[in-house]
Amino acid sequence: MSKRQVAMVMDLNKCLGCQTCTIACKTLWTKREGMSHMYWNTVNTQPGTGTPHGYESMGGGFKDGVPQRGHRPTVEEFGKAWDFNHDEVAFGGKPDAHLMADGGRAGKGPNWDEDIGGGEYPNSYYFYLPRICNHCTHPACLEACPRQAIEKREEDGIVLINHDKCRGHRFCQEACPYKKIYYNEVEEVSQKCIFCFPRIDEGVTTACSRQCPGRIRFVGYLDDQNGPIFKLVHKYKVALPLHSEYGTRPNVFYVPPLSPPKLDENGDATGESRIPVDYLISLFGPRVPEVLKKIEDERERVRNGETSELMDLLISRKWQDLFGPFTKHPRDAGREMGQASPVKFYKKGERP
Amino acid sequence: MRSQRVANIADYLAPGGEGWAQVAGEDIRMMPTPLPMQPTEYIRRSWEGRPYGAVQSLRVASVHDGESWAIRVTWQGVSPAGTDFPDSLAVALPVSGKPVLMTMGGNGAPVQYLRWTAKKEKPQSIVATGIGSSRSGPKIKSSAQGEATGDTWSVVITRALGFGQELAPLVAGKKTQIGFAVWLGANDERAGIKAFSIDWAELALDA
Repeated sequence: MSKRQVAMVMDLNKCLGCQTCTIACKTLWTKREGMSHMYWNTVNTQPGTGTPHGYESMGGGFKDGVPQRGHRPTVEEFGKAWDFNHDEVAFGGKPDAHLMADGGRAGKGPNWDEDIGGGEYPNSYYFYLPRICNHCTHPACLEACPRQAIEKREEDGIVLINHDKCRGHRFCQEACPYKKIYYNEVEEVSQKCIFCFPRIDEGVTTACSRQCPGRIRFVGYLDDQNGPIFKLVHKYKVALPLHSEYGTRPNVFYVPPLSPPKLDENGDATGESRIPVDYLISLFGPRVPEVLKKIEDERERVRNGETSELMDLLISRKWQDLFGPFTKHPRDAGREMGQASPVKFYKKGERP
Repeated sequence: MRSQRVANIADYLAPGGEGWAQVAGEDIRMMPTPLPMQPTEYIRRSWEGRPYGAVQSLRVASVHDGESWAIRVTWQGVSPAGTDFPDSLAVALPVSGKPVLMTMGGNGAPVQYLRWTAKKEKPQSIVATGIGSSRSGPKIKSSAQGEATGDTWSVVITRALGFGQELAPLVAGKKTQIGFAVWLGANDERAGIKAFSIDWAELALDA
């Protein structure tokens, strides 16, 4: 058990599905050889198959504390990055050439079923579900590894794969029920989200949270009573883990999405929400109705002119309030460390 | 097992080298590593009832020329292309003390492995002091060649004679012990999921 646990809360009412988080992560961490299929951060449309496709049926995790056999996702199941014939189309001198992914043999990409969702018009619905490694309190990956190559940091509970110890046996991939571990065939090691620990160590929040235009991601320590995580998870109890039945005690939590009312055959609003509550329960557990009611009640209070700390927190008027103790600018952290960065950061008015 | 002295190891680097026809070989019995010895509960449970380590025996022959040592190992079990894990062979030699082969050595009793992996040019030098403890071993001049004929692998691993702090001693005129492990990639065999030679066999190098 770690002394402290850093955690993330994502408010699904605010996620735009813009993938800025995905690209922030990709740009920072997974550009090396062997990583083209890796998206340590994914954002998928729900209902949907997720990434890797069908991950919820791939096993792993624990049942009554007992490890469950899991499937090892293939690159195709994760959805490989496609190569396009841009040069041929633009410069090939063939008027009939048209754009093709992987020469027309492309399989499913990582976000294959984007914006398909569920339901029938006028009650069709969807929402976005961003996912990273859950840095679980009871990590199935760590327990499965025969080489003790996976460590949970004592100071903040971040789960890391030690590449010096990893031999690419991939039991971790099988054991992780969220299927958030990738295999690098070039480096011959398993790799995954590192919760931007080099940034966290310097007081800078994760790239995915700092870059999020929708301000959906809260970061902080679970036990910091003045921080956003404690308030959302423990004080107001509106943030829930994804698939807690997997038994790994994840440390990424979600504020489930509200939705407009379902319409009846006359086009009139019913008392039922358009996103089926049962579906949300299948993801976030039995407390979903209670959480949705809590948020609706707090909204109503604000509409009536009252104040609500919970709504203020979820609205996040002050961007830095999202990040608990991790509010430092990466530029300033870099300067303090005396690092020579290939990127020049300019302050206002400094730019030539 | 005798490691016969020959004039020039160069004639024995390839599994199909003519010299091997003149070298007496012997069979080494293999068995699956016991499931209860697998290091994590996940592995024990996920492999319960699944067959592995099916290679029952290896045909082994060895030579040296006073400078380099070679061993040829032949067994049945060739995986098709495109599997997640490669076919592999490890040759184990005790470094010092009296290591237990089944536990891959222990504290103060390291075991050195030379591991051939299909489609890799060089064997890996590995040292272990217990299950799950393997790490890079000492650098040593070595080579490996594997040839698949039908369902049969023939692999030759060579290394320089000598000894060192973590380098298992192989000295002309001396005896040591030798063990083996084989992984069938097509069956997802890796780490402790393998066939192994149960206990050490004696390896005597001609003077």
